[in-house]
Amino acid sequence: MNQFTILLRKEFLEAWRSFKFLWMPLLFIILGITDPLMNYYLNDILSSVGNMPEGTVIQLPDLQPADILMASTGQFQLIGLAVFAVSVAGMMSRERQNGTVTLLYVRPLSYTALFLSKFIMALFLGCLSAVAGYGASMYYTALLYGSVNAIDFMKMLGTYCLWLLFVTAVCLMFSAMLKTGAAIAISVILFPVGLLLDTMIGQFWHVSPHKLGNYGVMLLTEASPYYGKTLALTCLLALIAIIIGIVFAKRKSITTAI
Amino acid sequence: MIHVEQLTKTFGAQTVVNDVNFTLEPHTATALIGPNGAGKTTTLSMLTGLLSPTSGKIIMPGVTDIRKEIGFLPQYPQFYPWLTALEFTEMAAVLSGLPKKQAKKEAQRVLEFVGLAEAMHKKTATFSGGMKQRLGMAQAIVHKPKLLLLDEPVSALDPVGRREIMELLKQLQEQTTILYSTHILNDAEEMTDQVLFLRGGQLVEQGNLREVHAKYAEPRYLIEFVEQAHAQKFASAWPTAEWKNHIVRLPITEGQPTMTQLLRTLANSPYTVVKVEQEAASLEEIFMKVVER
Repeated sequence: MNQFTILLRKEFLEAWRSFKFLWMPLLFIILGITDPLMNYYLNDILSSVGNMPEGTVIQLPDLQPADILMASTGQFQLIGLAVFAVSVAGMMSRERQNGTVTLLYVRPLSYTALFLSKFIMALFLGCLSAVAGYGASMYYTALLYGSVNAIDFMKMLGTYCLWLLFVTAVCLMFSAMLKTGAAIAISVILFPVGLLLDTMIGQFWHVSPHKLGNYGVMLLTEASPYYGKTLALTCLLALIAIIIGIVFAKRKSITTAI
Repeated sequence: MIHVEQLTKTFGAQTVVNDVNFTLEPHTATALIGPNGAGKTTTLSMLTGLLSPTSGKIIMPGVTDIRKEIGFLPQYPQFYPWLTALEFTEMAAVLSGLPKKQAKKEAQRVLEFVGLAEAMHKKTATFSGGMKQRLGMAQAIVHKPKLLLLDEPVSALDPVGRREIMELLKQLQEQTTILYSTHILNDAEEMTDQVLFLRGGQLVEQGNLREVHAKYAEPRYLIEFVEQAHAQKFASAWPTAEWKNHIVRLPITEGQPTMTQLLRTLANSPYTVVKVEQEAASLEEIFMKVVER
């Protein structure tokens, strides 16, 4: 327990001092406020800078708060998630490659404590960013479009955090298994690119971790019948990724730079 | 006491360390000497537990987890740049099994010991090479290990930094057993009880410094003449003598004169002599002999 506490403290200190707790939530806040503001002022924006012929009338759909939150989720999933995945995928491999972890590996180190300390810090960072991003999005959505049920909103937020738990576990697992470049490449392909693919051809299946974010937003209107199964599968896969990650954290310790 | 028995490490078809055996007595300093690629770092890596031996054993009587009893300083220690020296050393102490409160106290104590008292609250990113080496030393000794392993501890330092680290090591020798790899043999000569010569992964020579010197030192007389021609003439009278410019080196072997006899011979000769002394091969020369054997 002592080892876990001190390693967790180290992770949080590093994240705090490298301003990760500032710029990552800030990125999600910017992404979160883009859609409510953009959609609300789209008519004004188009009429002032759109260079439209005189008399053009654009009929924009009447958006509901849930639609705006869905759009914000899309932003988080594409840009926010790519940045988050890249930052997590280098967490273990980079330390091995530059040799900073060598002085930890030569001690009676608990690899479970090492992996979990990184996992918890990364998950906290992801959840903090998601809360900040959805909070900002919800603030402007409520201001401009109307509010949603608070309990449903919390459920949606909780679901998104579980999706981030899965992303964190898988990215960190790759970081424990591979070199930084390979871990980042696979994480980016698996998540932001995987989500794009799921959007394009995902109608052929209903249960996949990639659908969890959208199923979460659907809780605001009509819950998907596949929500429970998707949630359970995501948690199960995350647990498997954590176990594999811990095993590889130990196995790959011999590759640390001396 | 630490016993290393038949230690072997292979990577694929390549044997990097081959059947290495040695014993480290308590409170001794042992230098692991060898050219690049001799297997020094691999041997140290196996002793630290970073690498598993392909075969062989490392035995520390009475110790179940060897990692609790060793301190390790790599050649180029890397630290988390966001942590202060105190935070890093405290973390190292806790990871080595010290209770948290004691860890902080010990971290402060060793940082003072290595001369980082004023810099202990500074981030390691701001440290110079010498300071990093001292911090590396602090993290290696914070848990009072029975065995201190140092991989080229002074090779990356300037002469002042080297001297500081060597002084620290001499003090540490009273508290723990030290095994260090080096190729700076002057330093090794200064604080070594035992030497281990590695070549091509094999231990080709070992023993205490006096024994090794006795075996390889090849004592000789060094005679310096005022005139080069005199040196040449003198050397020509001794078949085993080596002559170079004003200096003649005469190996001390059976049948050669004693110092008194030599001085008498020189005194009766028409040659003017600057100095006569007895010299032995340095560790560096011994190293060359051993690795080129």
